[in-house]
Formats: sequence, C-alpha cells, structure tokens
Amino acid sequence: MSTLEVTFVTADRTVWSGRAAQVVVPAADGSMGILPQMQPTLAVLDRGLVRIIAESGEVTERDVVGGFVSVDSDVVTIAVDEAVRVGGSGR
Amino acid sequence: MGAQQRVYKQRIRSAQGMKKIFKAQEMIAAARISKAHARVRATTPYAEAITTAIGSVATNSDEIDHPFLQSKRDVNGRVGILLITSDRGMAGAYSPNAIRGAEQLANLLRDQGKTPVMYVVGRKGDSYYRFRNREPHRSWTPYKEAELPELGREIAKVVTEDLLSEDLEQHIDELYVVGTQFESRFQQRTKSVRLVPMGVVDADPGQVRPSYPLYAFTPDPDTVMEQLIPRYVEARIINILLQSMASEHASRQRAMKTATDNAETQINKFTRLANSARQAEITQEITEIVGGADALSGSGRSER
Repeated sequence: MSTLEVTFVTADRTVWSGRAAQVVVPAADGSMGILPQMQPTLAVLDRGLVRIIAESGEVTERDVVGGFVSVDSDVVTIAVDEAVRVGGSGR
Repeated sequence: MGAQQRVYKQRIRSAQGMKKIFKAQEMIAAARISKAHARVRATTPYAEAITTAIGSVATNSDEIDHPFLQSKRDVNGRVGILLITSDRGMAGAYSPNAIRGAEQLANLLRDQGKTPVMYVVGRKGDSYYRFRNREPHRSWTPYKEAELPELGREIAKVVTEDLLSEDLEQHIDELYVVGTQFESRFQQRTKSVRLVPMGVVDADPGQVRPSYPLYAFTPDPDTVMEQLIPRYVEARIINILLQSMASEHASRQRAMKTATDNAETQINKFTRLANSARQAEITQEITEIVGGADALSGSGRSER
C-alpha cells in the first residue's frame, strides 16, 4: 500500500516530515482524516489537534491554531500558524 | 618633538582607534549573517507550501474571486511601495541601493500616471524621504531584529487594510515591495516585486509553468481564499524582511572589511610621514649644529 509523504510546517520551522500511514487534521468544518489515494484537497484548518501516524505506527500529536492543509497525489502539506506539543507549552 | 610629528602621531592614533571599531563591527556582522540566514531558511518550507497552494488555486481562478487576484483593480491610481532599509548606517551601499530601487519604481509609476504611496521600514529610508520633504505614508522605525516576524505581520495587516479599503483617500490599487534578496554571503540583490495583484510573480521567463491538480476545497473555495491570501501576503513580507536583514549584515561585513583595510593603509601612510618628519627634524638639527660650529671656527675665535 502506498504511504503519505507528509510535511508539517509552521511559519518559522518544520515540525515533522516523513512518510505516514494516516493523518488527521482539524478542518474548518470538522475533523478530517487523510489516507493514501485521497483526492486532491485544499482545506482550511481550525484550532485543534493534528495527529500523524507514521509508517512505523508511531503517533505524533500537536495542538495547532489556524492554517491550511493541501493533499495532492499522496503529498500532504500541513502549514499552520502555531503548533505546540499536546499537554505542554514546549515545542 | 616637532609640531609636524605631533600632527602625524595624532592621525595615526585616531586611525588606530577607528580600525578597532571597524574590526569589531565586521566581526559582529559576520557572526550575525549565518544566524539571519538560518532564519530565512526556516521560513522557506512554509513559504513554499503556501505558494504552491496559492498557485494551484490561481489556476482554478475562473471560479474563484478575490480582490487581490484581479488584475484590473485601478480605482484611484494610488500604488503602495513597501521599501525595506536598515536602521543603522555603516552597511555600505545596502540602504542607498534599496532607496534607489524604490525611486526608480516610483518614477516609472509616475510616468504611468500613478501616485506612489510609500511604506518605509528602517530609519535610513525614513530620513531620506523626510529630508526631501516627501514624508512616507507609513514608516516603521526603529525595528528590532528579533521581532521581524511580528513586524511583518503588522505591516501585512496595515497594507491589507489599505488594499481592501473602500475609502478613496486610503485605498491603494497595487502593492510593490522593494527589498534586498540574500543570495549568498557575497552577493545580495535589490529586488522590486509586485505583491498585489498577484499573478505570475514568481514565474521566471523560460521556466515551465508547473501544472497543478484540480483541488477539492474544504469548506468552500471562497473561504479557503480568504484564509490563504492574507497568509500569503504575510509570509512574503516576512520572508523579504528576513532576507533584507541577512543582506544588511552581509553588506555591513563587507563595508567594514574595506574600512578596516583603509584604516590600515592610512596608518601605514602616516607612519611613513611621521618617520620622514622625524628624520627631517634630526637632519635639520645636525645641519644647525654643524653650521654653527663652522661659523664659530671661521670667525678665528678660539673661545666662546
């Protein structure tokens, strides 16, 4: 099965990049799951939780504020204004 | 010590003092370049992501409408120019080049019958226009290097407001940015780009236009546009601010290197002059003594 090529960036740094099996983002009209082979999408993000499940099954979660996500032939780009580690204020 | 020598010694001392200052400035600038460049690089992934997203949306622009995408938005002929200069001097041709770029652009716009409206960042640009009694419309000065992203956001907010304003006194039709592009430590280029209306801003001639997929928009195209475009403007302004900052440091380093070399030349020159002045003084003293002795012996007197 194909995987997603994910780039997760904020305005001033790259938070996470690599291959993932599944990505969940807080779209403006509700949480949106992204799996391989999804149709090209451009979505506005709201405040919420971004969850990236890597190929190895490792889960990365970040609280984000505003931004957008673009999906295009299994290339996922998540760009947000702010991203903080869940349950903490650290980066 | 003779007066002549004293003057030279004084010059040498002052050149030595200046050399120390230049050297220190050079080293500070050199240390800051890499840090500033790292900050430019850190914003690149975000800028790329947003540019791709905007590009893909713009190709579907038949169904999308946003004031910043319309190529015909002439209302009152006012055109904004955002000029980025430095706060401090000692940076060689950095600020003058940016100002010259802005002036060229302004003249071009005037020839087209438009009115340039200046938005200036940095004290050098601000004082240039104030001195000529053409006060900039808005100026941000002084600014702090650590707060450039915040400054960029604030500028983006102000210009977006003016671009969208319905008030004829406040409205601007287009927005250009004049800044300095950081290509490498040794090369920076003053660049004028049109930010609004958007279009083929980044397309270099000869480059094949990338094709973008047909996107599905969530929740709907207009909302996506409304969110994306202000972010794009913001990202572009912040990026050019950071690049200009890096360029300023690089430019200062080069200027200070030259100044240090010049101070050294000056010190050498005055050392030579001081030496020959001392030698001349000694020669003159000897001549006087010998001449005096000769005069005494010639007079036929054996006692003084």
